[in-house]
Amino acid sequence: MWRLIRHWGMSRCTPLSALVIRSVTVLSSSLLLSACSPTEIPAVLDSERLPAGTASVSQWPKVSFDRLVKNLPEAQKPDFYAGRALAVQPWIKAPTATDARDGLGPLFNARSCIACHKNGGRGDIPADDSEPLFSGFVRLSLPGGHPANGVLPEPTYGDQLQGQSTSLLNQLNQRGEDPLPAEAQVYVQWQEHTFTYPDGTEVILRKPELDLRELGYGPLHRDTQFSLRLAPAIHGAGLIDQIADADISALADPDDEDQDGISGRINRVWNPQTQQLEPGRFGFKANRPDLTTTVAAAFAGDIGISNPLFPAQPCTDLQSTCNAEPDGNNADGFELPQDLLELVVHYNRNLGVPVRTVPADNAGRSLFYETGCAACHQPSYVTTDQGPEHLSGQTIWPFSDFLLHDMGPGLADNRHDFDASGSEWRTAPLWGVGQYKAVNGHAFYLHDGRARSIEEAILWHGGEATAAKDRFTLLSADGRKSLLTYVSSL
Amino acid sequence: MQRSRISLARIPLAIAATSLLVACGGGSSSSDDDTSGGGSSTPELISIENTQKVVDTNADIAYALYSDAVDTAEDLKDAIDTFAANPTQDNLNAAKEAWLVAREPYGQTEVYRFRLSPIDSTDYASEDGPEGDINAWPLGEALIDYVSTNTTDFGDDQIGVTANGVGINGGGAITTETAASSSASENSIIGNVNITIDADTLSNTATADDEHDVIAGYHAIEFMLWGQDLKNDTELADRTTDGTDRDEAVKAYESGGQRPLSDFTEETYGERRLTFLQVAVDKLIADLEGVRDGWAPGADYRTAFTTIETEADAVEKLTEILTGMGTLSEGELAGERMQIAFSANSQEDEHSCFSDNTHRDIWLNAEGVSNSYYGEYAGYDSDLDGVDDYGTLVSGYGLDDYLVDAGLSDLDVLVQAALTTTETAYEGIDELARDGMPFDVQIMEENRDSDSPVYQTIIALNAQSGLIADIAEELGLDSDVVDDDASECDTTNPNEECGG
Repeated sequence: MWRLIRHWGMSRCTPLSALVIRSVTVLSSSLLLSACSPTEIPAVLDSERLPAGTASVSQWPKVSFDRLVKNLPEAQKPDFYAGRALAVQPWIKAPTATDARDGLGPLFNARSCIACHKNGGRGDIPADDSEPLFSGFVRLSLPGGHPANGVLPEPTYGDQLQGQSTSLLNQLNQRGEDPLPAEAQVYVQWQEHTFTYPDGTEVILRKPELDLRELGYGPLHRDTQFSLRLAPAIHGAGLIDQIADADISALADPDDEDQDGISGRINRVWNPQTQQLEPGRFGFKANRPDLTTTVAAAFAGDIGISNPLFPAQPCTDLQSTCNAEPDGNNADGFELPQDLLELVVHYNRNLGVPVRTVPADNAGRSLFYETGCAACHQPSYVTTDQGPEHLSGQTIWPFSDFLLHDMGPGLADNRHDFDASGSEWRTAPLWGVGQYKAVNGHAFYLHDGRARSIEEAILWHGGEATAAKDRFTLLSADGRKSLLTYVSSL
Repeated sequence: MQRSRISLARIPLAIAATSLLVACGGGSSSSDDDTSGGGSSTPELISIENTQKVVDTNADIAYALYSDAVDTAEDLKDAIDTFAANPTQDNLNAAKEAWLVAREPYGQTEVYRFRLSPIDSTDYASEDGPEGDINAWPLGEALIDYVSTNTTDFGDDQIGVTANGVGINGGGAITTETAASSSASENSIIGNVNITIDADTLSNTATADDEHDVIAGYHAIEFMLWGQDLKNDTELADRTTDGTDRDEAVKAYESGGQRPLSDFTEETYGERRLTFLQVAVDKLIADLEGVRDGWAPGADYRTAFTTIETEADAVEKLTEILTGMGTLSEGELAGERMQIAFSANSQEDEHSCFSDNTHRDIWLNAEGVSNSYYGEYAGYDSDLDGVDDYGTLVSGYGLDDYLVDAGLSDLDVLVQAALTTTETAYEGIDELARDGMPFDVQIMEENRDSDSPVYQTIIALNAQSGLIADIAEELGLDSDVVDDDASECDTTNPNEECGG
């Protein structure tokens, strides 16, 4: 394929977008033709340095995604830290004689939010199959859909594999006849292949192959679909929550009427608060409508903490020992009642985005627009006033349209989620992506963490993003470096 | 109840009052004419020499505190061994007292967290220190031993994880289903006789990257000595709740849990509990020794921390110290250790919930912050009367001295006033607790208002952390913070470099 691309590279577009490729091929003429129209590079704005406006946070004394927005009113700080306690301190096995902290599991992935979203950042994924995955999990489903759940859960294991249980044996790291086993241990084997740039530069890419061991509840349904997910970074979520629906839907082009090869679809997902389908914007497949639902779903699925939005324990009907375990519910039937849920949402809402370290020149920035990255990685929004005042009216730079795009077979998990197809993914926000290493000591990208660098992540782009990816691969080594430096600076 | 050291002597009352006014007014622009540093030239904000003195004192205090922590943990071990050899009520009480004393130096060490010092890191880089094995909570008490439950609050279908039928209330609080459930009897470390209680069992489990429940450290020992804090009747000291009012039940007016001596004298499980205590205290000592040794003169960490050769080194070390002080003040102590308990009326978020010793945790954590500021360690309270009276004393060059020598006397006055305000507030919590209203009662609905010393302490700690941040700002430590109004971009020329 790269040979073809190099051929296209012979002809060029306008002077302004000097490196955009004019392409006239049978395969994707309409797609690239329109993309080839002069790409406008917007003027550099002051506000670009502050991705979250006045809510942006300092990089001092160290970069973290687990940091309260700079402009949080003093009076709200106690609630932020109270919410943080609920996200950071471990949940414990029920029953205890105490009010607010028991109810872990019985099946769970982690005992606290921050165990996986360490420092507010991304999860870690093992380099080989010598150790199991911890800060991620595998989503499961059967073909078909579910109106409120988005997917049809695997009958025995549900829609998420939980690698931990509250049983004594599991907690003591001992093996044996366990009445309440963990569901499975997820191991990843990496299948590598080499990508070669038109200029001959080679990059090794890797794709995960799942190896599920120690299945605790018998074999999985033969039609089970799997999707490996690595915990996402959680900074800036309150600002994303405060983007107007209209601003996102204005970017949607489900039938590609403008024929730029990029559709951009809105997922329609269940909102348990309003009991109706609404546009989704959170999650790798945009399967959650807002921050509150996202946080509540993670508590229920990842930690096994029931709450007003997701009141069930993480046990399927077929997991009888799990169902028989004590829960930590209060009189209303929740382990995390509404007031505490609101505290922890308040915490999530007020996680800032680090200020940028702006590159010395704008070359990478120009290339970002010229190659077409910005078509989906929509740079900027002004937040609405539908939320806390200090997060309102902020000019923010998340670099995502929060829409679904077909990313091609290479990235597909072949698993539907609400309206998202098996090859569609939500555009990943780019703010902070260059800070992953500083925040977590490692940097993994894409839904399953396969990409070990931003460059690898770009090279995995396919489907609607093929044209933009191809333009990137045709850049000179210096050009690619500039563009990567720019993306890292966001 | 005033501590025996620092404070009032160092802060003339008039100055403290004035600076409070200034703090309230939001300004701090009075003149600099009381620079008592003695230097005639313009004082430098970042002084390598003075930073060296601050850092050396900071390390001296750490080494002294962790040494005292090890010593008091060894005293605790002696008390536990005596109790194990001769399990009497007197010896149980002595072990409890030794535990309370052991908390006195340790609580003051927590200001050394959040900066990759040996408590949090084995190599000054990774976050792999033993803190989780030493002081983590909430405890996974249900994994360790029986816990009480009842039909009213948990429902008939729910089981307690008792091992042996001897519940808090002679087994009465445990449902009948529990006794019949084989999985329940295997579900705690004490109850499952197939589990060997040894250091490996605790080590393999205690923290392990947050995958497992906390079963080691101070609070595991605390749970084993006190049991769950369930009692709600001041009249009948030996009566435990029947569980009809769980919310009341956990808020004991008589302090702490009331684990019966019989838990230690019964066949099989009594011995297992004693073994658990001995294994846990041995592990605690070993973990504390590791931290102490990291601070010993000549140790790798200490050498790295106290080597100040360049201005960048100085900035880095001052940043570390201030980060620990600020993080403990605001996020950790005021927020995660107090606000969550205060706003959620949540006993589980109480630091020492079994012994009802949380008032001391708050005091000691805050005291650690002022230790770092003043460069002083006045020892710990060895007889639990509220006065520091014993230990490896340190008195050195503190941040207060540094600020004065840097020409920032005004800021020093403000910080001292804030620390004093905090001190007054947490002494209020301590006083109430000693008068019979422990922290878990202070956070109950009817006691929660802005007059509560808990509330006052939270507010004071937040104010104090703001001033700690001001120190960093005044010294220019956070110079790489990008200014709020990024106005250096030439928006007319997109190819022009943006910012400097």
